[in-house]
Amino acid sequence: MDEPSSAPEHELFLFLASTAHDMKNSISVLSGTLERLLGGAAPSTNPDYPQLAHMLYQTRRLNDNLMQLLALYKKVGKPEYPFDLRPLEMGHLVEQVVAVAQVLLGSRGIRLELDVDPALVWHVDEDLVVGVLSHAINNAIHYTCDTVRLAIREVDGWLELRVEDNGPGYPPALLKAGASAAREIGGVNFMTNSTGLGLYFSSEVAKMHRHRGRHGALRLENGGHYGGGCFVLSLP
Amino acid sequence: MNAAAHAGTGALAGNGAGKIDEVDWAGKNYLVVDDFVGVRQLLRESLRSLGARNIDQASSGGEAMGLLARIRYDVVLCDFNLGDGKNGQQVLEEARARNLVNPSTVWLMVSAEKSVESVMGAAEHQPDAYLIKPITEGVLLTRLNRVWQRKQVFRQIDQAYAEKDYLRAARLCDAQIAAHKAHEIDLLRLKARLMEKSGEPARAREVYEAVLAQREYQWARVGIAKIRMANGEFEQARQMFQGVIAENRHFVEAYDQLALAYQNMGKSEESCAILERAATMSPNSVPRQRHLGNIALKIGKVGLAEKAYRKCIAIGEYSVMKTPDAYLGLARVCGRKNDPKEALRLLMSAQREFAAEHPDISLRVKITEGLVYHESGDERRARKAGAELEDLLAASAERPDVPTCLELATLLFGVGAKEAPVELLCYVIRNNHDNPLLLEEVQKIFDEAEMGEEGLALIQASKKEATDLMNQGVLLWKTGKLGEAVDWMREARGKVPHNQRILFNAAQIMVSHMQQQGYDAGLSAEAYEVLHHVDRLLPGQQRFAQLMEQLVLLQPQPEGEGVDEQEDASASAGRTVDTVA
Repeated sequence: MDEPSSAPEHELFLFLASTAHDMKNSISVLSGTLERLLGGAAPSTNPDYPQLAHMLYQTRRLNDNLMQLLALYKKVGKPEYPFDLRPLEMGHLVEQVVAVAQVLLGSRGIRLELDVDPALVWHVDEDLVVGVLSHAINNAIHYTCDTVRLAIREVDGWLELRVEDNGPGYPPALLKAGASAAREIGGVNFMTNSTGLGLYFSSEVAKMHRHRGRHGALRLENGGHYGGGCFVLSLP
Repeated sequence: MNAAAHAGTGALAGNGAGKIDEVDWAGKNYLVVDDFVGVRQLLRESLRSLGARNIDQASSGGEAMGLLARIRYDVVLCDFNLGDGKNGQQVLEEARARNLVNPSTVWLMVSAEKSVESVMGAAEHQPDAYLIKPITEGVLLTRLNRVWQRKQVFRQIDQAYAEKDYLRAARLCDAQIAAHKAHEIDLLRLKARLMEKSGEPARAREVYEAVLAQREYQWARVGIAKIRMANGEFEQARQMFQGVIAENRHFVEAYDQLALAYQNMGKSEESCAILERAATMSPNSVPRQRHLGNIALKIGKVGLAEKAYRKCIAIGEYSVMKTPDAYLGLARVCGRKNDPKEALRLLMSAQREFAAEHPDISLRVKITEGLVYHESGDERRARKAGAELEDLLAASAERPDVPTCLELATLLFGVGAKEAPVELLCYVIRNNHDNPLLLEEVQKIFDEAEMGEEGLALIQASKKEATDLMNQGVLLWKTGKLGEAVDWMREARGKVPHNQRILFNAAQIMVSHMQQQGYDAGLSAEAYEVLHHVDRLLPGQQRFAQLMEQLVLLQPQPEGEGVDEQEDASASAGRTVDTVA
C-alpha cells in the first residue's frame, strides 16, 4: 500500500478541484445558453447560425478537455479517480450520449446512426464511457462528411463500441499515435498533437475497465461501415 | 435497435426496458439548489422546457432545508458543493432523516466532477443519480426518466423494507430479478442487505457469491468479509479487506471494516493507523472521525484523538449525523492534558446542544465530568460529581445504554459509592441475562471494586430473576393460557424493559394469541412496538424478521387486494418460544 498523499499536495489538489468546479459552472452556462440559442434559431433565418454551432463545438471541446485533465490528474496524482463500475443497459448508455450530442449534431446537419441492442447489459463506469464516446463523436463531427455511426455489440465476451464516420479517415500519423496511446503513455506528443489528450484519456479509461485478468483497449482504424475513421473501444 | 435518426429531432434514444410509460414531468414540484445563480437559471430554463411550472430555488443548504421543511417536492436537483454551510450530501441526509422527502421523490445530485463519496458512500445515503456538469436539457430528461423507471422496479420492495418486513422484501427482490435483468446486481445487493437484517448471514453470503460469480464487485467482497468477521474469522476477514483495498484504494468502507477487524483481534495500534488513513482520504465522515478519536484516546494518542474529535465537531456542525460523543471525547482529552477548564466548557456546550434530542445527555455529561476530575487527580471534585450522579439516578427510573451504565458504575465505584453502582450493574444483568461476555465484563467491574464474591452472588440472583419471569410466561403459553401469558409478559417487560429474549417471547406469545383467537388491532400494535424496540437494541436478529413477517400475515387484507406472493415455508418455521435458559 502507498503512503497517504502529503499535505501540500492535497491542498493543491483541493485548490485545483475547486477551480475546476468554478470553471465547470461557467462552461455549463455557456453551453446551455448556446444550446438554447440554437434551439430557437434556424439556419435559414439566422445568419449567425453556423458561428453559434461552431461556438458550441468549441465549448464542448473545452469541457471535454477540462474533464479529461481533471480525471487524469486524479489518476496520475493523488487521490485517484473514483472508478465506479455498474451494470448498465446499452440503451441507457446511448440515450446519454445522444442527449449530450444531439444539438451539436443537428446544428451541423449531421446524421447519427445507431446500431445498438438496447437491452444488452454491461458493467462500465458510465460517466467515463459517456465522456469517451461523446468526445469521439465530437471529433467525428468535425471530420465526417454527413454521417456518424455509433455501433455497440458483444464480440467474443468483449463489449465493442465503435464510432465511425464517412469522412476521409484518420491520417497515418494519428493511426500510429493511436496505436502507441493504446500501448503506453510515451507515444503521444501532447505538444504537437491536439488529439493526443483525448486519445490518451480514452485509452486510460479503457484500461481501467478490468475483468478476470483482461483489460480494455482503444484502437483507431480506417474503414468500417462507411470507409471513414473508426474509433473502437473494447471493454472486457 | 437499428435506427437512424437525425439528431435534434429527439426521441430516438434506446429505452432499455422497452416500455416507458410517459411521465408527466410538467405537473411536478421541483427544487433547484445551487450556490451559483447562472447554473440555477440554466436548470430552471431546462425544467421549463420540460413544461415544469412549479420550480423553487435555493442558493444554500440552509435555504434548501427551509423549503424542504415546508413543501413536498417530487424532484430535487441539488449541487454537491454549496459553499459555506451544509453540502448537498448533508442536505440529502437530513431531508431523509427528518422525513422531508417521500420515497417517490427523485433526488439528483449535481456536481462538477465525480467525488469519492459518490462512489463509496453507504448505499442508503445515496441520491437516485449523480449528474456531472454540464447538464443539458436532453441529459436531464433521460436521467429523470431512467430514475423514474428504476423507482417503479424498487417501489414495492422499498415499501416492505420501510415496514421492516425484510423477508417479504427479499422475496420481492427475487421476483423483480426475474423480470428486470438489467437491475439484477442492484437487486441482489439489496437482497443481501435484507438477509443480513433478517439475521440470515449464510443466505446473505450466498447472494454475495452469486454477484461475484458475475463480476468482481468490491462491495460484495466486503459483504462476505463482514459476515466472516461477525462469525469470528477475524484473520480471514482482515485478509479479504486488505485484498479489496489493494484492488481499489478508494473503497473507504473496507478501511473502516479493516480497522474493526484489527480491533476484534486486539490490535488497537493497527486499527488506529488504518482509521487514520481512511480519515485522511475521506475526512468528512462524522462516524469515522468519532471512531478514530475513540480508538486514539484508548491507546493514549491524545494529540490524534484531539484532532479527530475537533474535526468531527466541525463537520458535524451542519450534519444531521452529529452526536455528543465527540464533545465528550474531547473533554476527556482535555482532562488528560490537565485542562479541566476547557473540558468543562465543552461539556457545557454538549449539554446545551444535545438536550433536546438526547434525553440521557445530563447523565453522560456528568459521567464525563467525573472521569475528567478522576483522571486529572482532583478526587474531591470527582466525588462531588459522583454524588450528583447518584442523585440523577435516584430521580429517574430510566437508565442509559449498556456501555454508559458500565462506565458509570466503574466511575461510581472509583469515587467510593456502592449502592448506586450495584443497582446499575444488577439492572444491566437483568436485561441481558443470556449474554455471557457481558456477564464477564460486569464480574470484572465487581472484582476491581473488590466485591468479587458479592458480585458473583448478585449476578446470579439477577439472572435468576430474569429467567423466572421468562419461564413463568412460557409455562402459561404452553399450558394454553394465552391471555394470561400475554398479561404476564406485559408485566415482565415493565420490570426488565430491555431484555431481548423476554421481548421476543412477549411478541411471540402475542402472535400466537392472534393466530389462535383472531386478529386484534391493539395486540398487533403492541407486538409491533415490542419488536421495533428490540430491533433498536440489537438489530439483525433472525427472530425479528420472522416475527415481523408473521405479524404482517395476520393483518386483515383490504377488500379486493389479494396476497401478492405465496407464503413460503420459512414464514411458519420460526414459531417457537424460548424455553428455560
